[in-house]
Amino acid sequence: MNIWENLIEDFEKALPSDVQCELKMINSTESLTRFANSHIHQNVEEEITDVYLTIHLNGKTKNMNFNITSMKSAKDIIEKALSGIENNPEDITWPGLADKNNSFNGLKEISPEDPDLRAKKVKEFIDQGKDFNAAGYCSSNVSNVFVWNSNGLNSADTATGAFLDGIFRSETSAGSSHIGNKNLNEIDASNVGKEAYQIARESQNPEDIDPGTYEVILGPDAVSTILVFLSVYGFNAKSKVDGTSPIEIDSNQFDTKLTLIDDPFAEGALNFKIDSSGSKKTKTNIILEGVPKSFFHTRRTSKELKDKNTFHEMFGWGDSFGGIGTNLYLKPGETKKDEMISNVKKGIYINEFWYCRVLDPITQVVTGLNRNGSYLIEDGKITKPVGRLRFTQSFMKSLSQDNVVSVGSENRFADSEFGEGILNVPMLHLKEFNFTGGVSG
Amino acid sequence: MFELLNKCIDSAVGSGASYADARILISKSRTISSKDGDLEEFNDSENMGVGIRALVGSSWGFYATYDLSDSSLIKAGQKAFLIAEASSKVPGRNFPLADVPIVQDEYITPHEQNPFVVSSSDQVNLLVDATYLMKKQGSSVASGRLNFWDTEKWFASSQGHEIYQNIIESGGGISSLSIGDGETQIRSYPQSFGEYRTGGWEVIESFKFLDHTERLVEESSRLLTAPQCPEGTRDLILEGSQLALQIHESVGHAIELDRILGWEAAYAGTSHLQLDKLNEHRYGSSIMNIVADATLPGALATFKYDDEGTPAQRVDIVKEGIWTGVLTGRDSAAIAGVSPGGMVRADGYGRLPMVRMTNVGLLPGDSSLEEIISSTDDGVYMETNRSWSIDDLRLNFQFGCEVGWLVKNGKITDMVKNPTYTGITPNFWGSMDMLAGEKEWVFWGTPNCGKGQPSQVGHTGHPASPARFKDVRIGVRG
Repeated sequence: MNIWENLIEDFEKALPSDVQCELKMINSTESLTRFANSHIHQNVEEEITDVYLTIHLNGKTKNMNFNITSMKSAKDIIEKALSGIENNPEDITWPGLADKNNSFNGLKEISPEDPDLRAKKVKEFIDQGKDFNAAGYCSSNVSNVFVWNSNGLNSADTATGAFLDGIFRSETSAGSSHIGNKNLNEIDASNVGKEAYQIARESQNPEDIDPGTYEVILGPDAVSTILVFLSVYGFNAKSKVDGTSPIEIDSNQFDTKLTLIDDPFAEGALNFKIDSSGSKKTKTNIILEGVPKSFFHTRRTSKELKDKNTFHEMFGWGDSFGGIGTNLYLKPGETKKDEMISNVKKGIYINEFWYCRVLDPITQVVTGLNRNGSYLIEDGKITKPVGRLRFTQSFMKSLSQDNVVSVGSENRFADSEFGEGILNVPMLHLKEFNFTGGVSG
Repeated sequence: MFELLNKCIDSAVGSGASYADARILISKSRTISSKDGDLEEFNDSENMGVGIRALVGSSWGFYATYDLSDSSLIKAGQKAFLIAEASSKVPGRNFPLADVPIVQDEYITPHEQNPFVVSSSDQVNLLVDATYLMKKQGSSVASGRLNFWDTEKWFASSQGHEIYQNIIESGGGISSLSIGDGETQIRSYPQSFGEYRTGGWEVIESFKFLDHTERLVEESSRLLTAPQCPEGTRDLILEGSQLALQIHESVGHAIELDRILGWEAAYAGTSHLQLDKLNEHRYGSSIMNIVADATLPGALATFKYDDEGTPAQRVDIVKEGIWTGVLTGRDSAAIAGVSPGGMVRADGYGRLPMVRMTNVGLLPGDSSLEEIISSTDDGVYMETNRSWSIDDLRLNFQFGCEVGWLVKNGKITDMVKNPTYTGITPNFWGSMDMLAGEKEWVFWGTPNCGKGQPSQVGHTGHPASPARFKDVRIGVRG
């Protein structure tokens, strides 16, 4: 892109020779069509070109970000960044700039999808359950990222994603489904609609059950929420630096049926192949047969923990967040959904979790609720839909040794509390899960 | 700027939109974070762009771009129209926009010291000194954060609005984390995630961080050896900032008209409230009086016009325990047949304006925290939020606080750790029997309210004073 090339040229000219500099640009078009009460009620598109600058001089660091419109000139921005930097405290964890040999170029020219195609997908979803009330969204995005530094690194990459997420509602029930793909054309909206409609239909007139400890079968979106919490609060090396992570590398913390890998180069992976330092990402084993193998590192956390960098710095997030994997795959097992259900003596099927919050990061005790489709399973059969339940459960313990009965045989991209497209997971059957409240509190 | 906005609007209307409005924003923000006496992050941000909204039949289209060239503005108007036209292929029922006064006006947040003019070194040093002190006093992880926003907005509509506003917001906080054997305990000041208000650097100066470091470290450390909060049903006394979050979650979101109408059903959820029960439904006890007031000087969600050009207002939401009001926009108000309340805002130029809480607060009562404690025989006093979760009807909630204090026979006795409480919205508010007065009424601010898709972060205010709730289930643990 010409804007990027011109930007580098201007910054190279304006940059004093003793300054270390990292420059990034995110250029994206994000489009999202939202529907509720079975019609499109919000429909948006945003085009951004945001620039992020990090300056390091005499042991001190300053970050700035701005968009192309607010920027007067490279010289002006550098002057602002350097102004007052000498009064800042020393940046003792400054990790240096990424090596120029880490450069990667995956840039592609891709045009944004048309709003008419998103409207068509929405209609295909809604048409699957005309007697129920449909709501959800269909989104598509094209994002280009660029990173340059004064060490000579110059990287760029393109990512695309499309998602359809929707529910059907009746007076007494709701059912949801979700799908993600690199290409909006590949989204099978009818199929997603059929699944959500079926769940909503079968969830009508739910009955309340007593709180307590139950076996559970978790749908992909519920599994994804557990893993994203463990990623942010556990495998994010920043939480280890802060002393709040429960993860111990090479210990038997998880069930041996679990293997979690971050693979940006897997076929169909939706997110960037470089991290925000501009370094080419690598395939990283996070959990191998129940054993934690790596944290998600940034340059700073790898320096602080004296560990190998895994290149998980996030675009648009500051150093105080740390890093997480964005192309995560939980290895599928061999158990089909029907077989999983048939193996449950008395348990609950949960399609989706809702509003989960950590009570204590180090124990990973989390509270939250179920929604959009839950059923009681008795003697291997679904017997009735169940209402709202509140759980208070350690997510670490939920995946601990011998608590995972089986792993589903089919993966899909799943939604989670912290976003979509970063986790591709199957269903899980867990031996024990602790529900602490029902509809009445 | 208004000339640029009108190019955009004319282009949308010329393409066939029945109504269009647009906003140009110049948004400056600053984030400073410190850990253990070091500067962890210093980031200045500035961006500028335009967002335009067009109406075709009953269908909206919104387009935003950073490019303010003439050709881009004309294209933006056309794109907003084309997106609305695509929406109209899956249309809802037609609605008029509720009438609002058409004004040309301007407003600047009253402030003493613009935080972007104050020396950034003074800002950094304040935070670094506070976290250094806490670390020295024994904190395992001492952290602090400051945030400042200076937002200039120009708004125009095809009906003739021309409004300029400059909103200045400041806030921050400090916390001490103590790490024990398999657990962490934290104490924060002024509240968890910091306290935020409209105003300048004087907001931060008023917090006097350095006067509170010793208490935070002592309490977070003492919590490690404190007994667990007992399980059972007891009287619950909530400190103001926790009550503010309780209001936010179990009242503020429930009264958003877009949720009640089902517009957020798939994501944020709906509401247990039904419009046909407005002015009848009992929300809480007779001492519960909630107002949404965007005119409160210094509160976080204070402005003069919302992002649809509707004047800021004070609206009764709950009067003597009866539900009387909702949070509205021009479209949702028209559909529901209520007055537009000036409660629509967007997170930046690139996001669609949507119904947002203003300063949704609980009016003060006639008691005091001291009096509440002295009249409680068996209860727990909880301070400062640590976790929050509520269902998608805003009924079933569970909150955790940083610290609890047992109250026995009218006196605070022991500190307890991991205090939690759970309840059902109308039962809980119905059990409120004592409420502190105006002297303890604080304009708490929440700077991180998530809503909408694409995701938007809203700044909301929740004035509150401490209160007592009878017979609440406390001490829920996993």
